[in-house]
Amino acid sequence: MAEFSIIGKPLPMTDARAKVTGLGKYADDLVVPGMLFGKILHSPYPHAHIRRIDTTRAEALPGVKAVATGRDAPHPYGILPIGHDERVFQTDKVRYIGDNVAAVAATSLEVAEQALALIDVEYEPLPAVFDPLAAMQVENPEHWIHSNKPRNIEKEYHHVFGDVEQGFAEAEIIHAERFYAGEVTHAAMEPHATLAVWEPDGRLTVYSSTQVPYYLQRTLSNVCEMPMSHIRVVKPLVGGGFGGKSEVIPLEVAAAVLAKKARRPVKITYTREEVFYAHRGRPISYMDLKVGITREGRITAVEARMVQDGGAYCGYGPVTVLYSGNLLHAIYDIPAARYDGYRVLTNKPACGAMRGHGTVNMRFAFECLLDVLAEKAGLDPVELRRRNLLRAPCITANQLRVTSYGLPECIERVVERSGWTAKRGKLPFGRGIGMACSHYVSGAANPIIRSNMPHTTVHIKVDRDAGITVYTGASEIGQGSDTIQVQIVAEVLGVRPERIRLVAADTELTPVDLGSYSSRVTFMAGNACLEAARNLRAQLFDAVAKKLDCGPEVLEARDERIFPRHDRERALSFEEAVAAALEAQGALVAKGTYAPPEEARGGTFKGAGVGPSPAYSYSAQTAEVSVDPETGQLTVHRIVVAHDCGRALNPLTVEGQVEGSVYMGFGQAVQEEMIWRNGRLMNPSLLEYRIPTTLETPLIESIIVESHDPEGPFGAKEAGEGSLAATLPAIASAVYDAVGVRIHSLPITPEKILAALQEKRRQAASQTRNSGTHPGGGS
Amino acid sequence: MTLPAFSLVRPQTVAEALRVLQDAAPGQAKVIAGGTDLIPNLQMKLYAPQLVVDIKGIAALRGIEWSPGQGLRIGALTTLTELERAPIVREQFPVLAEAVAAVAGPLQRNMGTIGGNLCLETRCLWYNQSEFWRRALGGCLKLPMPNPHAAHPRTICHVAPGGKFCWAVWSGDSAPALLALDAEVEISGPRGVTRRPLRELYKNDGMDRLALGHDELLTAVHIPARAAGRRGTYRKLRIRNSIDYPLAGVAVAMEVDDQGICHAARVAIAAVNPAPLLVPQAEALLVGQKASPELIEEVARAVTRTGKPLTTSASTPEYRREMLRVFTRRALQACWDRRDNVEHERDTGD
Repeated sequence: MAEFSIIGKPLPMTDARAKVTGLGKYADDLVVPGMLFGKILHSPYPHAHIRRIDTTRAEALPGVKAVATGRDAPHPYGILPIGHDERVFQTDKVRYIGDNVAAVAATSLEVAEQALALIDVEYEPLPAVFDPLAAMQVENPEHWIHSNKPRNIEKEYHHVFGDVEQGFAEAEIIHAERFYAGEVTHAAMEPHATLAVWEPDGRLTVYSSTQVPYYLQRTLSNVCEMPMSHIRVVKPLVGGGFGGKSEVIPLEVAAAVLAKKARRPVKITYTREEVFYAHRGRPISYMDLKVGITREGRITAVEARMVQDGGAYCGYGPVTVLYSGNLLHAIYDIPAARYDGYRVLTNKPACGAMRGHGTVNMRFAFECLLDVLAEKAGLDPVELRRRNLLRAPCITANQLRVTSYGLPECIERVVERSGWTAKRGKLPFGRGIGMACSHYVSGAANPIIRSNMPHTTVHIKVDRDAGITVYTGASEIGQGSDTIQVQIVAEVLGVRPERIRLVAADTELTPVDLGSYSSRVTFMAGNACLEAARNLRAQLFDAVAKKLDCGPEVLEARDERIFPRHDRERALSFEEAVAAALEAQGALVAKGTYAPPEEARGGTFKGAGVGPSPAYSYSAQTAEVSVDPETGQLTVHRIVVAHDCGRALNPLTVEGQVEGSVYMGFGQAVQEEMIWRNGRLMNPSLLEYRIPTTLETPLIESIIVESHDPEGPFGAKEAGEGSLAATLPAIASAVYDAVGVRIHSLPITPEKILAALQEKRRQAASQTRNSGTHPGGGS
Repeated sequence: MTLPAFSLVRPQTVAEALRVLQDAAPGQAKVIAGGTDLIPNLQMKLYAPQLVVDIKGIAALRGIEWSPGQGLRIGALTTLTELERAPIVREQFPVLAEAVAAVAGPLQRNMGTIGGNLCLETRCLWYNQSEFWRRALGGCLKLPMPNPHAAHPRTICHVAPGGKFCWAVWSGDSAPALLALDAEVEISGPRGVTRRPLRELYKNDGMDRLALGHDELLTAVHIPARAAGRRGTYRKLRIRNSIDYPLAGVAVAMEVDDQGICHAARVAIAAVNPAPLLVPQAEALLVGQKASPELIEEVARAVTRTGKPLTTSASTPEYRREMLRVFTRRALQACWDRRDNVEHERDTGD
């Protein structure tokens, strides 16, 4: 008999039917009686003092039921305890074009829009700064974006692990280079929407497109000065988050403040342009990277400097810059590393967490540099990676604990499937293949707000008809977390998934889960489900053991029956077992929790809290491309990706996540970029911010590698983020293989390729000329 | 984003539509067909018309008719999808089939009409933005938004500061193909039905793009019979392969005999000027000639002299000009080599 009956099956997602038929309800689909429409007034200035706000004319407009300003919500907030620098509406100054100044709730969207134009705001413009390198040079405190952040540095970290000087002294080949990555955003299909309902008993119910209902509840409690128990946050279907909904977004607070003020339900849905201003995407990154290797290709030392353009508020910023440094580690064996990371404030929308949080741009730089070093060492890029693998289990130089490590298998599988050996360096001019690796955390080992409480809790209840209800705080945002939790419970209890009803992400009904970020849900909520289901099963087994007159330890639950392992015919049906348990003990409920083990929580240095995870996923990829040397146009034909997810609890959803990661990586690699002109976003629409269409998206072949993590539920690790980062450098490496130019600036546009090709031709021509006039010269 | 308030009328005949247009004050009525250009522009509050005239109900404006004597007549409401799929277009006017297939994405082509595609608003990154965005900027030459909070208190062109001319570009795909086929447009108005060369429809002014009276309606497109069978191809520069307007477009239509001698030739470009333009020197350079790299390069140079790309879109002027040159070369070579309907640039490979 197979080891599992539900785990490992490619079951369709539990919410798939509702989504594909259009019957599913997202936040903006919700309508309640008496509902008002909210609109937010945004700053037209990148940096300005607010001298006066007069809402009188707006309040007088028929149909306007409430106008809110900063006076209605004075408490600052922010996702990080060290970064409470946001207010839903600014009172003293605005810090980016799109910053929030006031909001109205009216009987129609049209009236709300008209009312915005009637709010009189007097601004006094301040000098603004849009480039992080320039922002770090601003000496005048009057011009700092936040007065308590000198020279606009939000946070800086300086880490040294191992003997870096000695490492570079031992190196025989050293290469250093600057890399650049443009700014990208999540572009989730569903724009943010929030419906806040003021209840007759003075409580607040908030339906919101969020990845973090618990943090939203906490923040609203603080801002609205209401106990958490009086605020119910419900997450309806969410049409993608990718990090863009993983902190409290201004419209969520604005809707709540307006609802409280109007004593009516208020819905706000962002326009696509407002989504771009709410942002929280991946920052512009300047990266200086230096890596030394021995002649045999062993890495001896790494030196990295990262400057991130964080925008006007803290958000997750310090976490982003720490991921960039701390996750230099835990993929290859790096004995010594120095990292200097700067998170800088500029007068632009705040950056934040985006799929592959903090790792993607630095991984691009690192893998591109390995490609250069491999060439210098005369090694195949694959071989260079083979020579720098970790030997898991192990602890890295910066005290990350690696428990399972499928990277070697990932590399070998993509090498084999892609035909690497026959292709690299051997394809005709214009065609090339490249490879790269990446990794990611399976959940942050440390919570955002430090505590020793569980990161997630799951309750299970079974009643007379033997229907099973699972209460989980985990937020399904399209990644399949509901489905995975159902599968885990079904596997343990030996029942059909249809028997299980999952109630998720409703703070009134479900226990706390920290949210859908850092790829933590399958690992953590999965482990809590596992524990809860095992607890429930133990109760069933006790009752069944009495009925069958055997020990509970010999029982097994499978195929809707519970039976002694060696006497399968003496079985009770699941219904009979539930009845027996209810007779024996009254209520049939169970709980499970998960918190990462102490030894997975990392070191004690400043900034050590970000990067530690109970387990890491791994990915290796090859990209095959062609480049048109006359136009620079790049076509990515095929990406072969192998992802180590520990165990594929559902191979269908794992493949979906891996393909989605590669797709997003591809978009950032070749065409996505937020274009800025003096703090003005030139492309705040999905027409001008060009996420790829199916036509240019390459064929993606995904291979699942299972390394069976000892801590993961059934051995599972994350699948939703780790494969993103490798896509970008794999494509860059393939471009080099195709036409011999290295593009170390993202996105890799046709223009950049063409310019590099022209430069290369110029150099070749001048070399020919030089060698002609100086015989014996040349390179 | 909401729509501005307007009255909607739905005439069922051309005569009724013309009456409505004549009764409206100049500039106060907008005609809607497929709506793929007008609706987003209305949402951005680029216009505030009192009246929107929905002509989709006018049956007479539909359909494609071919006669060997009269040529091809395409009703203004013919959708781009219908045009792309019509066997007569695919067989006899390949440059047009290819150009309309390159417009936006399939959904927009199902809705968008040939008449609408020929009457598109010009585009500019500084203009095609929301009301909030433009107000924060202080508007632009094409649509000033005087505002005490504006970054630029005096309205200026952000593409060519100091200039008085609007460089918003013509961003349609079908027009250059139709120019290359010597198309005419049928205009219905108070003076009856007239036919004018398509090139006369365009004024090459980003602010005032069309030579079409407020009381006139574009009712059909005619392609003369002599243009049937011309070899042709359309090359479109875009960042993604669908749902993208052109950043530069080159349409070529040619007659070439068995000896490889060119007997008629048109080269038209789009998305680099405020109008789609025929390249004036192309015909003189090409007719009577056989293909040669020197000749092709000379025509390509002529094309880059006609195209005047500026910073109106996502790609740089330099790159767009360079692609005009490359695309012209390739399109001419493809026509001489008789490779109609070649795949798009980025689709090469697998």
